[in-house]
Amino acid sequence: MSFWINRRRFMQTTSSAVAAGALSSVLPASAQSSGQLTVTVGGGDVGKATIEAFVKPFEAETGIKVNAITEDASMSAIELMVKSGNVTLDVGAVAQTTAITADGKGLLEKIDYSIHKKEELDGMFEFAKQPFGVAWPMYSYNMVYNTESFPASNPRPTTWADFWDVEKFPGIRTLVSGAYGSEGPWEEALLADGVPAEQLYPMDIDRIFTSLDKIKPHIRKWWGAGSEIQQMLHDKAVDVAQSYDGRALLLIDQGAPIEINRNQAKLQWDYYIIPKGGANVQNAQKFIEFITRADRQAAFCQIFPQGPTNRNAFKLIPEKIARKLTSNPDYMKSSVTINGQWYNDIGPDGLTNTERLVQRWNEWVLQ
Amino acid sequence: MKTFQKFGQMPIVLTVPALAILLVVFGIPILLLFLTSINAPDFSAKNYYMFFGQPANVRVLFQTIEVSVVATLICLIVGYPTAYLIVTASKSVRTTLIVLVLVPYLTSGLARTYAWIVILGDRGVINNLLLQLGLIHSPLQLIYNTTAVYLGMVHIMLPVMILPLVSAMMGIDRSLMAAARSMGARPLTAFWRVFFPLSLPGVRSGSLLVFVFCLGFYVTPAALGGLGDAMLSNFIAGQVSSSFNISRIATSAFILLAVAVAVLSMLGLNLMGAQARAAAPARRSWVVRLPILGRLKRYFGEFPNPYRAKLWTTQLYQVGDDSRLSNVFGTVFVLLVMVYLHFPGLIVIVMSFSAGTFLEFPPTGLSLQWYRSFFADPSWNGAAWTSVQIGVAVTILSTIVGTLAAYGLNRTQPRVRGFLTMAILTPVTIPVIVVGIATYLGLVNLGLIGSKTGIVLAHSIGAIGIVVVIVSATLANFDRRLEKAAKSMRAGPLRTFMRVTLPLIRPGIVGGAVFAFLQSFDEFVVTSLVSGYSIRTLPLKMYENLRNQIDPTIAAVSSLLMLVPVLWLIVLYLTWWRSRQRDHHPLPELAA
Repeated sequence: MSFWINRRRFMQTTSSAVAAGALSSVLPASAQSSGQLTVTVGGGDVGKATIEAFVKPFEAETGIKVNAITEDASMSAIELMVKSGNVTLDVGAVAQTTAITADGKGLLEKIDYSIHKKEELDGMFEFAKQPFGVAWPMYSYNMVYNTESFPASNPRPTTWADFWDVEKFPGIRTLVSGAYGSEGPWEEALLADGVPAEQLYPMDIDRIFTSLDKIKPHIRKWWGAGSEIQQMLHDKAVDVAQSYDGRALLLIDQGAPIEINRNQAKLQWDYYIIPKGGANVQNAQKFIEFITRADRQAAFCQIFPQGPTNRNAFKLIPEKIARKLTSNPDYMKSSVTINGQWYNDIGPDGLTNTERLVQRWNEWVLQ
Repeated sequence: MKTFQKFGQMPIVLTVPALAILLVVFGIPILLLFLTSINAPDFSAKNYYMFFGQPANVRVLFQTIEVSVVATLICLIVGYPTAYLIVTASKSVRTTLIVLVLVPYLTSGLARTYAWIVILGDRGVINNLLLQLGLIHSPLQLIYNTTAVYLGMVHIMLPVMILPLVSAMMGIDRSLMAAARSMGARPLTAFWRVFFPLSLPGVRSGSLLVFVFCLGFYVTPAALGGLGDAMLSNFIAGQVSSSFNISRIATSAFILLAVAVAVLSMLGLNLMGAQARAAAPARRSWVVRLPILGRLKRYFGEFPNPYRAKLWTTQLYQVGDDSRLSNVFGTVFVLLVMVYLHFPGLIVIVMSFSAGTFLEFPPTGLSLQWYRSFFADPSWNGAAWTSVQIGVAVTILSTIVGTLAAYGLNRTQPRVRGFLTMAILTPVTIPVIVVGIATYLGLVNLGLIGSKTGIVLAHSIGAIGIVVVIVSATLANFDRRLEKAAKSMRAGPLRTFMRVTLPLIRPGIVGGAVFAFLQSFDEFVVTSLVSGYSIRTLPLKMYENLRNQIDPTIAAVSSLLMLVPVLWLIVLYLTWWRSRQRDHHPLPELAA
């Protein structure tokens, strides 16, 4: 409902918050059984690529008709559906943090790994094969700078401490908004303040906001949607930005003078999950299995540059494209990983860390 | 026959369908929401303590009120002289100007906010121009600040202020000014002591509408504002999405509602007093009190009425109003306001013909590719088709139910009438996010979330209010002796209604239907809450596009949407024209 919601923020799209009832009242009862499957595939280019690389081949192989919804699933939707006993979404993609929350509330089916091939499972990252879901795809928040503002002959910002150093690296900056708590410039603020990458969690919320205080006057816009950051980078309205790798890669392909700094990139991923109690759980398990396949992931990455969670996919991807992908082993080493569990930890005041971040953010923006 | 006679005796029955829909979809849920916010059945103010316990909430509440007050004042300061100049202009100019104010009022708010991003952006129209002229070396920071928020909000709200002002000013008898002048009052004194007090009802209703709409704003602050430019609606939206804690959301919604109700009741009461002083005809008083009503009534009423004693009053008016200088000032002022209202739309239209793949102005080349992309992409034309279907259904439902209600209300006691009208109008007079949350609950109870039926009902509660307002205005001027005459000639009530009443109030009904359609076609907030995954209306699709894509398809869609109000104005004009033809040439029709 807020105007700019990026497609990654699954928790907050109000329209999907009420999707549970939506599906239940619209789909005829017959459509919910037999050879059908309702899957959320995300909006925009990601949705298109998912349909091409996964949905269509899946239909061809299994004969199951997939109703692909170009939307993001949301926590509230899944909770409403499961609790009202009217589960009409068979497979949904939700952010890491959301999946952990939903699993904690007992809303998700266990993934049946017995139908997965061993070689595919062996290729999957450990975090990618959870009991409640499989991780796909991976993407990251990166520092992206304009190569005209920071030519190769001069020093370029490579760490978040550099980003915070407005004296040494002058220029207009933009960071992601933290309005929804579950994703924000939190890890970057700590890295800039000198916290070592391996000691980020548990995060010190006071320290985050002290660090953000320092950069606040220099941020042109706290962006909320991928389209915003893409437009700003294209317009050269900012010199150095925090951006999704996918958006920056699209711009580079179109010839924009920007470069991605992969050092201290922040890795995030979605989980494909099965809401508990649906009518098509068996078909849903087949779709989940399909998601983990290296060849399908490789096909997707060549349409839209997001990171495979099955390492075998890299064997099928040309080197030129592999250089673009955030889960490339070369990049993984210097990246930090979002710890979804920490965001779900409940403190003595009964609030999760996500809720606490939202409260602090709301106060901080008005200061 | 008997049933109809009963209807005749108990006209209030005619309001039942409207009230039933309202009660089920909106009334009961909002009561439930209130009970939730006070922790029924335990009854405690715990949630309210929690709300005010967070300093950020209190600050954002005050900020919301402050922004709304300032925006309302700016609208008034700009709108009052504009309305005055419109009213004093010659008839053809005046009609043109009213249409020019109406068109942006009827254009999609999403499209208009989007236009400001294009204009004010760091590489937007203004900055590009200044850079190219060499006047500046780095872009001015025009967007993402409070000024940009006010620019955008006032742009959307200005017509809402101007139209009631115009309607109130048109009702002022100019001979009063002439009389004051003839007794030696100087122009300014005559204006201040005579004209201004008489225009106060317009000031009140305009300010009221603008203020309440502003309270519910969130699209514009989020898109044009900076970090600190949050409104309470933004917080509520965040709550809805992040934790979906219904009692907390209800509490925030009711606090917003309380502010709106406090203002409404304060101004509403005063307004009645002013009406009494102005000794307006009794039947008219409640009509004028309702802002949209008054505005539209005057708007529709204006065309058929030949302008009374135009020449000599106008002359008296202007003599000594000195000078071409003030005329020049006035013209320039009105021109500036019109440019402000229309420039953003024109920019969007130009951009929609862009050959590039980004939002750029001026476009690098011209092409129709984005129109093609709109008409060729099933997700776009499908959404448009869905919106049309829903809009038509809403129009039919709310026109029938609303006309019945208006007809019934017109024949009930004034006291009951006032109360019921207020009840029917609630959904259009309180912040839209509150309506959205209540409607969402109502449709959950009915199991209609995400169905077209559900969306039609959700849109209808607002649309019915608008139809009631407009049809009532027409009925207020309707001479009931005509019905009696028909009945005396042994026409039954149904026949009388079909042959006498209906043709005479048809312009009002058509006007109501048009506005009902627009209400549905442009609705975004409530729809986003109740649509779910399955139904994509055009505003929802536009919104998804704004999030995920940055291509100018959105500009093409917005341009097409600007055509819609123009089409509707033509419909309205034709309806009026036909009805006037009949008024003036009744004989041939009788002969036929």
